[in-house]
Amino acid sequence: MDVTLLKVTAVFYLLATGSFIVYLVLPKALLSRLSPLILLGGFLIHTSALGVHFFQSGYPAVTQFREALSFYCWFMVGVYLLFQLKYHLTVLGCIIAPLAFLMSLAAFAFGVGTGELPPELKTYWLLLHVTLAFLGNAVFSLAFGVSLMYLLQEFQLKKKKTNVLYRLFPSLETLDRLNYVFLVWGFPLMTLGIITGSLWAGFRWGNYWSWDPRQISSGITWLLYGALLHGRITSGLRGKKAAVLTILGFAVVLGYFLLGGSVFPSRHAGSFE
Amino acid sequence: MPEEKIIVLGLNHQTAPVEVREKLAFERSALGQSLKRLHSLSAVREGVILSTCNRVEVIAAAVDEQAAFREIKLFLSEQESEKKPGGLEDHLYAYSGGEAVRHLFRVAASLDSMVVGEPQILGQIKDYYTAAQEAGTVGTILHRLFHRSFSVAKRVRTETGIGSGVVSVSSVAVDRAKRIFDRLEDKTVMLIGAGKMGSLVVRYLQSSGVRSLMVTNRTFERAVELAEEFQGNPIRYEDFPRYLQMADVVIGSSGSPQILLRSETVRDALKERRQKAMFLIDLGVPRNFDPRIDEIDNAYLYNIDNLKEVADEKLRERSSEAQKAEEIVNEEVAVFLRWLSSLEQVPTIVALRQKLEEIRRGELEKSLSTSLKGLSEKEREALEDMTAAMIGKILHAPITHLKKRPEDQDEDLYIETLKKLFDLGEK
Repeated sequence: MDVTLLKVTAVFYLLATGSFIVYLVLPKALLSRLSPLILLGGFLIHTSALGVHFFQSGYPAVTQFREALSFYCWFMVGVYLLFQLKYHLTVLGCIIAPLAFLMSLAAFAFGVGTGELPPELKTYWLLLHVTLAFLGNAVFSLAFGVSLMYLLQEFQLKKKKTNVLYRLFPSLETLDRLNYVFLVWGFPLMTLGIITGSLWAGFRWGNYWSWDPRQISSGITWLLYGALLHGRITSGLRGKKAAVLTILGFAVVLGYFLLGGSVFPSRHAGSFE
Repeated sequence: MPEEKIIVLGLNHQTAPVEVREKLAFERSALGQSLKRLHSLSAVREGVILSTCNRVEVIAAAVDEQAAFREIKLFLSEQESEKKPGGLEDHLYAYSGGEAVRHLFRVAASLDSMVVGEPQILGQIKDYYTAAQEAGTVGTILHRLFHRSFSVAKRVRTETGIGSGVVSVSSVAVDRAKRIFDRLEDKTVMLIGAGKMGSLVVRYLQSSGVRSLMVTNRTFERAVELAEEFQGNPIRYEDFPRYLQMADVVIGSSGSPQILLRSETVRDALKERRQKAMFLIDLGVPRNFDPRIDEIDNAYLYNIDNLKEVADEKLRERSSEAQKAEEIVNEEVAVFLRWLSSLEQVPTIVALRQKLEEIRRGELEKSLSTSLKGLSEKEREALEDMTAAMIGKILHAPITHLKKRPEDQDEDLYIETLKKLFDLGEK
């Protein structure tokens, strides 16, 4: 993969992070427009880096952990920018941009070589499974972002002590509704990601569910988010509890993604091997 | 050319009670005529009238300061006596020169307002300035003065935090409501009790968009009265817990010594409304609501002290910002006075030249017609040139100094001194 492009991408994400942080302190309309644009710049360069890889090798760059991380980061930024168009939630960028920067930085920490894809993995299943799963997780990153904001805002309102974030953050009602929106989008994507993954596992390994650590961690998150979504729809599970559950679910995804592979070796590609 | 001075004569919320201010207030419809009458005063060159509920002022450019004060005072007392005569004198303040400029800048920047930092005053000044412009009572000086005051106000607003933040209990309550709820238009408010503070908060919430209101009181008749006043629905006191689940905002404003709303009641209501957030405002002293309500998820309880604390803190912030604002005003006053004296400076120089030229001519003619009668044409010319050169040399240094416009020195003083020394004043 083109390392130079990825480096430039990281620089852009860093610049965007800086711009978003300045926006927190100095909430000017200009910064609110500029920061997402810088992020968009990084996203486009990122896209070209991933695109170059895809056209050269014919499959997305997800075989190595660092590649997967970069790919995930790309999806997350993309989904955020899409939602920014509709909801103008610049403050959410203050969480997404630093996350994106850290992810792209972390991707470098694991070497720069390109993984070779074993020929038996070169199928459309890979593209389908990876896209769905990553898209789902990207949407959950945003759910994580708004939930974090919810907790911060709710803490200020309960403690009756406010700081600079109070004025910038949207109302609890808005944040809670966004949590629901992201959940409603993310959950089906994740479900499909798990189904395609498991079908594929069935073709390759002979059984659909082999209690692979990767499958287990996805399963936990899926159950958690499923329960949350069910609770939201049927019994008024919302607000702080919903925010905490969202953050927990995301922590499981991210935790396994970042650490799990080394602790619980998995046959799943994109983990430490 | 005699120079004009800026003067201000008027009264405000600090110097006069509302009855006096009301009597003096100018009617908007007759403002044009009032302005023309003001302009017709012999000492007044330019004039603007400012008349809001907190102040009535005349800002004028006048030739003879003292005469102008006298005439404007009379003008104001005529205005007052149209309604009912009273002791106007005690309430009036008068400023001239730099003090008058500073006063107007402070008013425009909302430093002289009852609620420091409130934004309406600037718009009002703009209105009254436009009216004066339409009536043709504004000239170069007031034109410049008012436009400066607009930009001073803008500077103060952008460079200090004086206009930011909320300062009353009601506005803090609405501010918190807006951070809990997305929008207030579709929210329902329940008012328990007939306290004055509660009515204030309800009014503020209604002006922020709230449409639906329930009112309850121990005496149902009072609830009906209040409901009529606010166009809400009266509810019998025994029934209010049943309706609680419909309320997004609950306001307790009763003088009752007992707790009116228990935390179990709120917990049940939240369950019935599927945990949709509730904002509970307890304005009662002693408390109307059980303090344990605050421990319930999705219930946000604020009592009067919580709200007051925020309001007081904002007020303190504002007063420290006001310091910064005063410094900006000082800077701007200095800049404006420099401009004003540069206007004056030109006529002073002209007058000084004229004066010396007159002396030279006078003395020359006197001598030429008496003791120097026998001089030849050539000698006369030489004498003419010599005296003219002398005057030029004498004037050179003072004029250079005047034109240099010293940045940090009081230029007024130079011009004043010059005028005094050479008797250049108006004749």
